[in-house]
Amino acid sequence: MPTTANGRRARTLKNWQFDLIFAAAIVLVLLLFHLISGGSFLEWSNVKGILSRSAYPSFIAWGFCFLFACGYTDMSIGGVVVLGSFASCIFGNWYGLPGVILGGLLVGLCLIFINFLIFTYSGIPSWIAGISLAMIYEALAFLLKISKGTKALISTSLDKEYRVLGQLPWCFILLLIGLVVVYFLYNRTTVGLNIRALGGSRDVAEKLGINAKKTLLFVGLISGILVGVSCVLQQSYAGQTTVKTGLTSINMIFQPLAIYLLAQIIRERINIVICVPICAFILYSIFNLLTMLGVPSGTLQEACLGAFIVIFGIVGSRKVRGVVK
Amino acid sequence: MSGGTILEIHGLNKHFGPTYANRNIDFTLRRGEVRGLIGENGSGKSTLLSQIAGLYRPDSGEMLVNGGKYDPHSPLDANAHGISMVMQELGVIGSLPAGVNVFLGRTGQFAKGGIVDLREMNRAAAAVFEKWGLRMPPLNRLTENMIIEDRKMIELARALSIEPEILLLDEVTQSLSLNNRNSLYELIARYRDMDRSVIVITHDIEEMIRITDTITVLRDGQVVGEVVSAETDPDQIRMMMVGRQISGDYYRDDTTPDCDGETVLSVRDLSVPGELEDVSFDVHAGEILGFCGLSDAGIHSIGKAVYGLIRGSGTVHFLPTDVNITSAPQALANHIGYVPKDRDREALLIHASIRDNAVLPSVEELRAAAGLLPPGRVNSMAEGIRSRFSVKSTGIAQTTDALSGGNKQKINLGRWLAKDLRLLILDCPTRGVDVGVKAAIYALMKEAKKNGIAIILISDELTEVLGMADRLLVMKDGRVTKEIRRDEDFTEQSVIGVMI
Amino acid sequence: MKTDKKAAKLRMSELVPFIAFVVLLVFFSIGTGGKMLSSYSLKMLIEQSILTIISGCGVLFVVAQGSIDLSVGVNVALSGVIAMHVAQSTGVGWLMIPVALLIGLFMGLLNGVIVSKCHVPSFTLSIAMLIGVRGIVNYIQTIIGVEYVPASMLFITSSGFRIAAFVVIAAIMAYLFEFTKLGRYSRAIGENETTARFVGVPVDRMKILVFALSGLMAGCGALFSMATVGGTTQTMGVFLEMKVAMSIFFGGVLVTGGSSAKFYKIILGSLSITIIVYGLSLMGMSDSHISQSVEGGLLLLILFMTIVSNRKKKARGETAAPAPGETPPAEQT
Repeated sequence: MPTTANGRRARTLKNWQFDLIFAAAIVLVLLLFHLISGGSFLEWSNVKGILSRSAYPSFIAWGFCFLFACGYTDMSIGGVVVLGSFASCIFGNWYGLPGVILGGLLVGLCLIFINFLIFTYSGIPSWIAGISLAMIYEALAFLLKISKGTKALISTSLDKEYRVLGQLPWCFILLLIGLVVVYFLYNRTTVGLNIRALGGSRDVAEKLGINAKKTLLFVGLISGILVGVSCVLQQSYAGQTTVKTGLTSINMIFQPLAIYLLAQIIRERINIVICVPICAFILYSIFNLLTMLGVPSGTLQEACLGAFIVIFGIVGSRKVRGVVK
Repeated sequence: MSGGTILEIHGLNKHFGPTYANRNIDFTLRRGEVRGLIGENGSGKSTLLSQIAGLYRPDSGEMLVNGGKYDPHSPLDANAHGISMVMQELGVIGSLPAGVNVFLGRTGQFAKGGIVDLREMNRAAAAVFEKWGLRMPPLNRLTENMIIEDRKMIELARALSIEPEILLLDEVTQSLSLNNRNSLYELIARYRDMDRSVIVITHDIEEMIRITDTITVLRDGQVVGEVVSAETDPDQIRMMMVGRQISGDYYRDDTTPDCDGETVLSVRDLSVPGELEDVSFDVHAGEILGFCGLSDAGIHSIGKAVYGLIRGSGTVHFLPTDVNITSAPQALANHIGYVPKDRDREALLIHASIRDNAVLPSVEELRAAAGLLPPGRVNSMAEGIRSRFSVKSTGIAQTTDALSGGNKQKINLGRWLAKDLRLLILDCPTRGVDVGVKAAIYALMKEAKKNGIAIILISDELTEVLGMADRLLVMKDGRVTKEIRRDEDFTEQSVIGVMI
Repeated sequence: MKTDKKAAKLRMSELVPFIAFVVLLVFFSIGTGGKMLSSYSLKMLIEQSILTIISGCGVLFVVAQGSIDLSVGVNVALSGVIAMHVAQSTGVGWLMIPVALLIGLFMGLLNGVIVSKCHVPSFTLSIAMLIGVRGIVNYIQTIIGVEYVPASMLFITSSGFRIAAFVVIAAIMAYLFEFTKLGRYSRAIGENETTARFVGVPVDRMKILVFALSGLMAGCGALFSMATVGGTTQTMGVFLEMKVAMSIFFGGVLVTGGSSAKFYKIILGSLSITIIVYGLSLMGMSDSHISQSVEGGLLLLILFMTIVSNRKKKARGETAAPAPGETPPAEQT
């Protein structure tokens, strides 16, 4: 009877075995990096750097988990992060830490929510709409940069004492909190399950009594908050944000997207929510190592990133049968 | 059987655009009654069921449940009134595990402090499967890679999980194999014993008479009659459905097998891990070779393996061109045709035009110089298929999703018969079509047979294989266990004895 | 009668991209005080659309199959930069043509093989290419810098030559798309890949073929790009893939591809987009970066109108097509 399908599955590794091997592999790789770098990779100051760098893309990648789950690809997130970071900076310099947090969070949340309303109600394919929105947000950011009233505010960087959230231990604590909250949200709440149902088939989900519009608004809310947090972290980490024009803001989502795609590849074995920060850490470890080895960033490092995604994509899709688009 | 009335419908009307799907329906259902709804495609049975289940709202008329006014706004609303339905088309969500699918939309009831207790939910789901004797798929697995039967079981469990007073089943049996059908029959019998009611739609008239107490016949959206199952026969029902006498015997009436034609296909030691084991057989020109068996017996894999869609060890030797078939494009190029089981998902480009669907297998034949597919030839071929197989449609530019199941199947089958075929593989060719189309398909099969085409007929309906095949191969667990010729002991009893 | 109405409605939804095009043209003609319709402007309009159409008509096949190729932009850059360097360093000018085409073809083949044989979703793969190959191109350019079309090849920079070449290539591609097996099978794969496979369409081969074609056309686009500018640039092909994708979808092709894919749609779509960009610059808004905002807004508006008039089909596109490359999440804890 069903031995056909199950039999094959039973021969594969148990989940905990896989987890163990996976963890061992990561440790090994990190040790290898340590050796290659001549003993400087695992120095605490270096690891600290990688950790704090991983935080803000992780939140965006989590946002992708929800957006992708209901079939949306938001290309304007880069533009949103720029505007959110501006808000974080301006309000931070005015009102201190609460300003940093609320400014980024609110702007991120509002803009993503607006995007979401557009995706949901206009029916325009989301990533096309996202490109249009990215244009608008980029222009807005540019406007802020050149208009007299806001010019000075933006070019001032965020005051050092308000940037604690971008440094250890705070960014790590935030990452852990985010991990727990997102994990339960995605896997163990009615909203999370409904979101994924909607992503599977809107028609079926609606017939089963799931309120599609309401659920989608939740997606907007959740991913908005996640992007909002990442705005705060981004500004706290970098201190200053440059204006992007000509759709270059889309470049900003490539790294989180790469993290998401990597996480997606092993998601069959490890929950995607947990995969995200792990993949972020691995990714930035590699960048870090490459920088140590003198590989120029922005050119060959990007090439490595691309190759990395392709190789992992191939490995992860090895067993995939059926329709892949 | 003796219970009081649970559902009453008076003067119900429903129309889509200018066409009436339901017209002035009066309907009464008692407690403990198993009612069949039957009618040709488009007669309005699914529409009626959907309104009872809260998917559509009637234009006029009233429904009463237990004497109280019943006007469901949604399926959930219907559930609250103790009514749930397993729909013909509705699937399950592939991206969620089976257990979640059973309680989808109601996962909140397992939430503690906002967190859903998955273990508790799976326990509850398992209890439903066990209570009703349904085959349970692994509850933690995602449903996207499950076979149709397992998904139907999940849907059934979902409908049963609310312990409905009225269970509505729309064409559930057609996607089930014999053994799962039997557990469904048992389930229906238990429902009757529990003094609850069931409304069933199925195209299989014999099955319907066997499992129901009473049958309501619909034609053109109207109720044309109600009969007691024990006092009727298939011919009477067919007559009521179409309004004329259909000869009860649309199958073959001869008992002589034609197995002596030239051998067209020779399969030797065909094994596909987990699906087929050491299958060998020959098919001859002008022969209909039937395959039957329980679910997982591997009959559907035969069709796929012969057409090169799945590969294993052994040979599939096609004699007219002397090649071993290893891929579907190769089979296509070698005058082999394949009508798969799942019409909407495997056979047709459902949102494309009749034209695009009709010419798809003949693209190579239509090719002129410089790779051109001349629009004139494309159109005339499509037009030819449309008229020759009398596909009811507005033209070849119409998309197939608007057509009835029977007309879709006519295109599906017709496009192959329009080719110069030597071998045709049919997997459940009459699944979900009404009697009229069924008769037409059998006539086409007889004609193809006369023209010397070898036919492999794979079917879940035993009567169909018995009615049409020259030889019958009975399969069990991926092996051929018995071969019966038409002039031998060609009866349902003898076959079932081997199958189980 | 009823069917007539239905047919009329269907035609209506097909018409919207046309209407959008005409409305845009009229709007900007009035907005620019007729400058938009001057022969110079029209010529600019066509020239600016050419690059998008040439680089995009291979992508159209990919989109028809329901996949996406976001690597055309970097493909254009890579094949252009290398071809030009080969032509310059060998001194044999005509070499740039075969080298550009071959490199484009090779990259396309690579994409096609990885997508069809390794089952990597095309969205994932082409995003990876977009990131990775851009890195390589930037690296190469840090070494060799910007180069100019060699004197022996200057004839390709004349607009007469370019337009003539464009017409020939577009005609061939339109023929391939509308009237051959390749086009028909590609649309069938987009409609339902399982069905195509079950009928006997060589799906894997078709996938490799269209990605290769997309790459080849990117190589072709590289030549057009260099012919227009007169050489390579640092920003060669940047966001060209987005422009191509927008043109295709703006023209009315659904993300799911299939029968909604028609050749004329990419021409219409890219013309409309060029009208917006060029029209805004004629109205004097190009320098202010405000135009970008207006552009984005206009795009949204017109896409919205297209979709509203196309409600029924949209429902299909949205449910059947989650983010390209997305398969629903699958995890066990």
